[in-house]
Amino acid sequence: MADSSSPPVATEATSAATPINFILLSLFVFLVYLRLKPMKPQVLPRAPPATVFRTFTPPELYPYNGLNGMPVYLAVRGRVFDVTAGRNFYGPGGPYANFAGRDASRGLACGSFDEDMLTKDLDGPLDKLDDLGDEQMEALQGWEERFLEKYLVVGKLVPVGSEEAKAAAAQQ
Amino acid sequence: MAGLIEQLDSAIADLLAGWNVYTTLLLGAILAFIGFVIYDTRDADTHPLLLARQAQAAYIRQPGESAAFRSPETPHGYPLRTGLMVKPPGTPMYSAGKDGDLRDIWRRVTGEIPLEKNASSSGTAQILTVFGKEEVTEHNIADITKEISVIGKHLKDHGAKRVAVYLPNSVEFLAALFAGAFYDFTPILIPYNQPHKTLIELLKQTKADSLIAEAGSLPLADVGKSVSGLRQLIWTVEKTSRHMDWNEVPEGIGGKIDVSVWHQLVQDQKNCPPGLPSDSGKAPGVVFLWQESVGKPAEIVEFTQQNLVAAVGSLITALPGPQRFNASDSFLPADSFTNSYCLGLTLAALFSHATVMINSVAGPGVDLALATRLIAPTLTVVSAETAAKLHSTTTKTVTGTLAKLAHSLETRILNSGRLPTDSLLTRINAPTRATVGTTPGKLRALFVSERAGLNTPPLSSEDLSDLRIYTKARVVYALTAAKVAGAVAQTNIYDYRRGVTPSNRHSHFGAPLSCLEVKLKDNGPHKTTDEQSAGEVIVTGASVAGGECALGVNATFREDHTLAYI
Repeated sequence: MADSSSPPVATEATSAATPINFILLSLFVFLVYLRLKPMKPQVLPRAPPATVFRTFTPPELYPYNGLNGMPVYLAVRGRVFDVTAGRNFYGPGGPYANFAGRDASRGLACGSFDEDMLTKDLDGPLDKLDDLGDEQMEALQGWEERFLEKYLVVGKLVPVGSEEAKAAAAQQ
Repeated sequence: MAGLIEQLDSAIADLLAGWNVYTTLLLGAILAFIGFVIYDTRDADTHPLLLARQAQAAYIRQPGESAAFRSPETPHGYPLRTGLMVKPPGTPMYSAGKDGDLRDIWRRVTGEIPLEKNASSSGTAQILTVFGKEEVTEHNIADITKEISVIGKHLKDHGAKRVAVYLPNSVEFLAALFAGAFYDFTPILIPYNQPHKTLIELLKQTKADSLIAEAGSLPLADVGKSVSGLRQLIWTVEKTSRHMDWNEVPEGIGGKIDVSVWHQLVQDQKNCPPGLPSDSGKAPGVVFLWQESVGKPAEIVEFTQQNLVAAVGSLITALPGPQRFNASDSFLPADSFTNSYCLGLTLAALFSHATVMINSVAGPGVDLALATRLIAPTLTVVSAETAAKLHSTTTKTVTGTLAKLAHSLETRILNSGRLPTDSLLTRINAPTRATVGTTPGKLRALFVSERAGLNTPPLSSEDLSDLRIYTKARVVYALTAAKVAGAVAQTNIYDYRRGVTPSNRHSHFGAPLSCLEVKLKDNGPHKTTDEQSAGEVIVTGASVAGGECALGVNATFREDHTLAYI
């Protein structure tokens, strides 16, 4: 076949601008950009903020029973524990749900989850546990140690009208 | 369908028809670039997510304060570190070890208490002294033990209880420190080079009843008259002045002050030196002076032995295993021993049987190149003034595009988490390095201390990154305070991040040491909320004088739980 096309020399001189060259050049520039771009430092998502230690009175502790998305707290001998991790036991519908948001000391000492183990009057003084025998106080001690190992102490429970309750309210 | 494939086929054929020499060149360049990237990629020194959260916060906080932050070595619920965990020979292998005190550190130096099982050494630590421009002398540990026992017994026999030590960094300084622990007196460490008036003032305030000083460094007549409680004086004389008689006492002092000379005391007992006494109860503490610079008023802090060993133990374990002090390291304290951070690191080096190179050219403003003129240390501790000076002098020499390019390349490598070492690129175009030590490249870690409340020059994270390039070593920045032995917080040795704190203020200080916990108390505008922790720094732990103290500076714990000034 006779080639009557233009002389080959001219086409070679302008061949730098072929499409494949553009593609490869842009690929090269992109790779260099990836390599040279400044790295962002790796971060972890922010940790949840620490719970503030709070002085509770029984009416203030009452809402913390797991309903309405509230955490589950219960009080043992003046110390308020965050038992949200044990929600299956202490949360709504659990076997010990009576204890949630209340002073559970008498119930743990006597080993009973009945309603009459809880103090009825939330505005009255705290249960002094005077009439419990040595066995029951030992049982309570055992329960308290287990709670201290498993759960976080997030507050203390004081009766309504006491000095500490007034001081805590003044600080707020 | 078939038409589509055919169209695609012809489009690709058209594309590849334009293949020519430029295309081959470009392809070669891309492959070479990818090959270089693969060759150059290495893992970072530590996992970046470990640096993304450094201290551990408690889950509960009191109102008006932040949560307590601790080192990850001693998480919440476990006891803080209280000492050295030293195991005297004969204790069962897996016991926890006692806290110990300075006496146990010296027993470890002499080899009486062996190193841990898998560490090997020559049996004792080594102590070298550098004298000016001339020589490096090695000291025999048994001789130093003799000196400790002779001087200690002399002071104890004369009823010394509070002995002021006014010496530059030297073997005599360390001997006096250990003698205090063995022979039941309290060393008072006075920073060297004070004006005479300040020295007299400090001696009176600390109620010193004895003094060990370098011969000729203070006017005995004035000191004797002004400091009424002074009873004993021991001169230490350098070798070149030993022909003179230093025993004479100026008039007016009479028989009140008993003057002796260190090397004569040691000489007299050369043939029958008393041995070190066995443990006889609690060793007394050591008094440190916290002073902005010589001549200024000083805060007097007495640390118990427990404070000191807790600090030393936590400084040892603050470094990860491969980076710790070991018997093959040589340590240069380029800051004065009267700084508890420098002294803590020196004791840690002695405890690990490293070689300690003592240079009397040491202090807050010393030039590191001068201090290392005859030696090549692998570890060194410097003050912030020295580090700032090193940084500014070396930065001035980085001129020219090539040097700046090399520097920025190394900065990129640092940012990706690796410490730059000699590679192909650096051999072609070497970045500027500072001259530290006779053999370049031996320095592997540089410890810098920031003294809280004393207006030390700030080092930003960019400065620290530049220092890593200039010294080709890892740089650790520590926050130190008056009432805390050792340091409050220290950066992770593998933390090379820059730009995490603003460039015009101090870099962050990392996580607290494992012997203490730090919390921030609300102070004026700096309060702790759910979003941030800020306030005045309160430190609790075994290395704090008095158990708990407020540092008087405001700080915050950043998102990565590192401590930083506000």
